[in-house]
Amino acid sequence: MNANYSKEKLTLVNELIYEIKVKEAMSKKVIFFEENVTFREIQLKLKEKKISGVPILDDERNIIGIVSIDDVITAFDKGYVDNKIIDYMSRKVITIPQNFSVVSAIHELERFGVGRLPVTESSNSKKIVGIITLSDILNRLLVVVQSIAEKVEDKEIKNTQISHDLIKSIVKNPLRFEVKGDDFDNAGRVASIIKKYFQNLGIDRDIIRRIAIVCYEAEMNICLHSLGGSMIIEVNNDNNVVIYAHDKGPGIPDVKLALKPGFTTATEKIRALGFGAGMGLPNIRHYSDKFEIESSLRTGTELKAIINLGVKNEIK
Amino acid sequence: MSFKKGIIMKVKDLIRVLDAEVLCGEDFLDQEITDFDASDLLSDILAYSKDDYVLLTGLTSSQVVRTAELTGAITIVFVRGKLPSQEAIGLAKSHYIPLLKTDNLMFTSCRKIIEELIKEEKNK
Repeated sequence: MNANYSKEKLTLVNELIYEIKVKEAMSKKVIFFEENVTFREIQLKLKEKKISGVPILDDERNIIGIVSIDDVITAFDKGYVDNKIIDYMSRKVITIPQNFSVVSAIHELERFGVGRLPVTESSNSKKIVGIITLSDILNRLLVVVQSIAEKVEDKEIKNTQISHDLIKSIVKNPLRFEVKGDDFDNAGRVASIIKKYFQNLGIDRDIIRRIAIVCYEAEMNICLHSLGGSMIIEVNNDNNVVIYAHDKGPGIPDVKLALKPGFTTATEKIRALGFGAGMGLPNIRHYSDKFEIESSLRTGTELKAIINLGVKNEIK
Repeated sequence: MSFKKGIIMKVKDLIRVLDAEVLCGEDFLDQEITDFDASDLLSDILAYSKDDYVLLTGLTSSQVVRTAELTGAITIVFVRGKLPSQEAIGLAKSHYIPLLKTDNLMFTSCRKIIEELIKEEKNK
């Protein structure tokens, strides 16, 4: 699954119905009959299993016809309900190969106004391997959509675990994180870990907010504008949190201009995420007690932001 | 928008005021709101928001949840009937941030919240 994560849910479902194969959504347990049964036998089975139709298969499980509840009602009506189905069943059967996407199944169900499609082994086979209904598709979609949310949840829980583990390390040890360029899915992960880390140290909420925002903006800068880099966070002897963000380039041609609120080089993609208002560096400067930035078109950008923890937040 | 101490609104009150649907975080609706922010620009949210606030937004990416989490939001309300991505919902769940959805427009949502706050103050 490689959905572009900034899209709406509807788009996600749209993508999924192309990605999910009939094979993954269908029921493998197929209730079927052979052609030498009567309509009444089928009617009893339909009632018992609460289904609306059954495929008719030969002894090699190849499909030869289908009998629906409508056919049974007609048989009652016309008085041949105790006759064998072989002379009456419809032999024109709409099927779908198992390797097709569920979107094709949805189209076929709609186009022919049927409630279920027998699934064949392949396009040039009549052998039935399953049966698919709209509710099968819906169930599968829900499971997949749910698992995407759970995957993100698991990843975040792991992040929390990381910050817990960091607590055990000595406070004076700098924390170092790699930040990939152009990796929107993980953007903000470092800031989140750092925030949890300082929360666990019992730092003042207002200061944690400032640290989190500075980290986040610096991380987003590396992620959105550079080829990747790293962040180092340490607490120095003067009770300052020092945040270093370093990237491998391409560098900022005019740092003074980049510091101007509202100045931006953001692309449409970045703006679609809600960023790119030209407030990144100004925000970092605003929230830090001390702020330095150096950039070279040869070696990339180095940013240093210092936030004082204040007397009551002293870390031993 | 900040309001005076003593005027209290809870996250669950928003469901009534905005006729909102709870998308996740049903167990965390009892929190007290101290501030609101309405924005479609993450940079602005980062620049101006305060702890324990509710964010009203039309953005639906997981980055908006990340931004909310880092700035101390206790709930996100998606306005004009927008649905967040599954990634956004997963992220919100893991940080115990309830997500609400309302069909009201951004302006209407803000107006309704302000009217409710004024009503509450008069009743005091």
